[in-house]
Amino acid sequence: MISRIFKGMAVVCVLLASTAALALDQIPEYRDPLAELTIDSEGNNYQFEHSSLRALKIHDPIEGFNRRMYRFNGQFDRYVYLPAVNAYVKVTPKFVRSGVSNVFANLADVPNLANSLAQGKMQKSGRTTARLLLNTTIGVLGIFDVAKAFGLPQEPEDFGQTLGYYGVPEGPYLVLPLLGPSTLRDTTGRAVDWSIEDAAAFLDNRSYMNDNPWSYGLYALNLRYINNFRYGSLDSPFEYDQVRYLYIKLRELQIKR
Amino acid sequence: MNRYLQYLGLCLAGLLCLPALADEPGYPVTNPFLATIVGTPPQLVWPVPEEPQVRQADLSVRVLPERYLPPVLSQYRDLHYRLAWHNKPAPLVFLIAGTGSGYDSPRLDYLKRAFWNAGMHVIIMSSPTNHDFIAAASRSGLPGLGKDDARDLHSAMSLAVEHARSEKELEITDYRLAGFSLGALNAAFVAHLDQDLQQFNFSRTLLLNPPVDLYASIHRLDALARTQIDGVSSADSFYEHIFQKLARYFEASGGTDIESGLFYGIQSSDEALTDAEMATLIGAVFRFAAADLNFMADLITEGGRYAPAGETLKVSTSLTPYLRRALFCDFSCYLETQLWPNWSSRNVGKSMEDMAWETSLQSIESFLRNNPDIAALTNADDFILTADNYRFIAETFGERAFLYPHGGHGGNLQYLDVMKQILAFMEGEQP
Repeated sequence: MISRIFKGMAVVCVLLASTAALALDQIPEYRDPLAELTIDSEGNNYQFEHSSLRALKIHDPIEGFNRRMYRFNGQFDRYVYLPAVNAYVKVTPKFVRSGVSNVFANLADVPNLANSLAQGKMQKSGRTTARLLLNTTIGVLGIFDVAKAFGLPQEPEDFGQTLGYYGVPEGPYLVLPLLGPSTLRDTTGRAVDWSIEDAAAFLDNRSYMNDNPWSYGLYALNLRYINNFRYGSLDSPFEYDQVRYLYIKLRELQIKR
Repeated sequence: MNRYLQYLGLCLAGLLCLPALADEPGYPVTNPFLATIVGTPPQLVWPVPEEPQVRQADLSVRVLPERYLPPVLSQYRDLHYRLAWHNKPAPLVFLIAGTGSGYDSPRLDYLKRAFWNAGMHVIIMSSPTNHDFIAAASRSGLPGLGKDDARDLHSAMSLAVEHARSEKELEITDYRLAGFSLGALNAAFVAHLDQDLQQFNFSRTLLLNPPVDLYASIHRLDALARTQIDGVSSADSFYEHIFQKLARYFEASGGTDIESGLFYGIQSSDEALTDAEMATLIGAVFRFAAADLNFMADLITEGGRYAPAGETLKVSTSLTPYLRRALFCDFSCYLETQLWPNWSSRNVGKSMEDMAWETSLQSIESFLRNNPDIAALTNADDFILTADNYRFIAETFGERAFLYPHGGHGGNLQYLDVMKQILAFMEGEQP
């Protein structure tokens, strides 16, 4: 009887000892993350398929043109735009580039404010007004984003978002030359934002830029410099389809904010 | 009797050790799905220089001059690779990307910066399963076989290094090799092939989160996309469900900053994603990679399953209908419909299990076991591994198996201690 108990103990101990030996060797114990999930058998769950098929339904009546434009933008990016941006990065120290980004961002706070007001977002309008005041004065014409340091990061609002806020549908998908993904609504919005900046003539920036055409080049360089998207980075022959979906969804999120 | 006491001692030691291990500070994200998605919290990342500081260029070589590609794929005629180099003699590390990732994948860019900063030249190669590699460098057009992929990679790597030498006057002291995920399995097979060819004589080969039995891992990845999610019926769209969560989170949080710390923020809110949702997201990403693979392999082999065989795909041709079709075929489906028929016609009388075996680390076990210059790094909760796979890595590599309790599939690669280990091995003096 006693020997049977010993034998039983021995078996238990051998089992435990095997895990103990692993622990002694410092080998972390295997854990199967799939064991905690409920996974349907094949041919039983088409959630991925039907969700993805639905995501591909986007109104794109001039798809052929858009795809050609998308390819053109990618080539332009590769051979002209990015090399220019890389040269810009090489010849300027980072604080200069940040200063340039901040100046243009400060100017953009004018349409940001106009659109926040147009959507009746009073608190956001207040924050953007404070940003404009702080950055234009203490921030020396916007070179320094001091407002961000005070806990007031930029809150972009464009006229496309304002239209979306009042229920205007996005309309057909468009790929704009050099600017990339857009929709009919957002393209209209861009034009309106541009004219808001014109009309506001904040800090006289437009006439200054018109007198110094190189500043438009700097504007274009900065536009690409602050955008981290790289053509080909989605690693898919279906990148056009994926970007189209992501653009529409990101805009929806921005409008809901 | 003494033996029993010994066992008892081991039992107690084991019990004592476990809490001690759990209390150790380490990579903090203990949920494997979350770890895979968010990676390492910024304050715990091993510091590397920023991209503009690295001396680097994207270059390309023509690997298969006779390959015909339709206009829509014309930019893949040449195989692109990324080179980071020093203006002095240095070792060169080849980095091989994982499933459906290219030479420009952000994960490898981080490793590139770390190795470059440690004084090495780096060349990043696309995964043989990535669309650009299939088009430009896969002789069969059907990736997924250990030995064939290694041959394609090896010749592409030879061309790339010759090209880099002549373009940038690279001076190379010796060669090293590392790969992530499927790229790690590729690296093992390339090192094995090179042992016969004696061309690079890699002084170091590091496998980061490798699968052991590729086809077992494939079934596990396919399964992720079939995870059941509470609150999503078959009529709902899973993506809409996720986007609605994001939208509610932004509304509730007053939505200031869309980028910084998005995932950490949402995971501590009411809209935190569940394990099932994160698993499905990861599964969906792999399904899109599978769709790319299915479409590209079929196009190159003129199978006519997705794009009609006779049709010329122009830049303006809508690929959406072909994507719709390819989305239905996961990795297992690729094996069955494309890889297996081709392989079995060349290997009459052999079974699917034989094909799986030939693309497993088990098939080159003695090479891996006896080679002090090859190491593997993985996590106890990496979901591409079965318990047997994990044990195989621990046993085969012994002291050269760097095993961590948490990190999921590559989530902890940028973590301080992990990167320190990676660099220590890759920089190691030549034995």
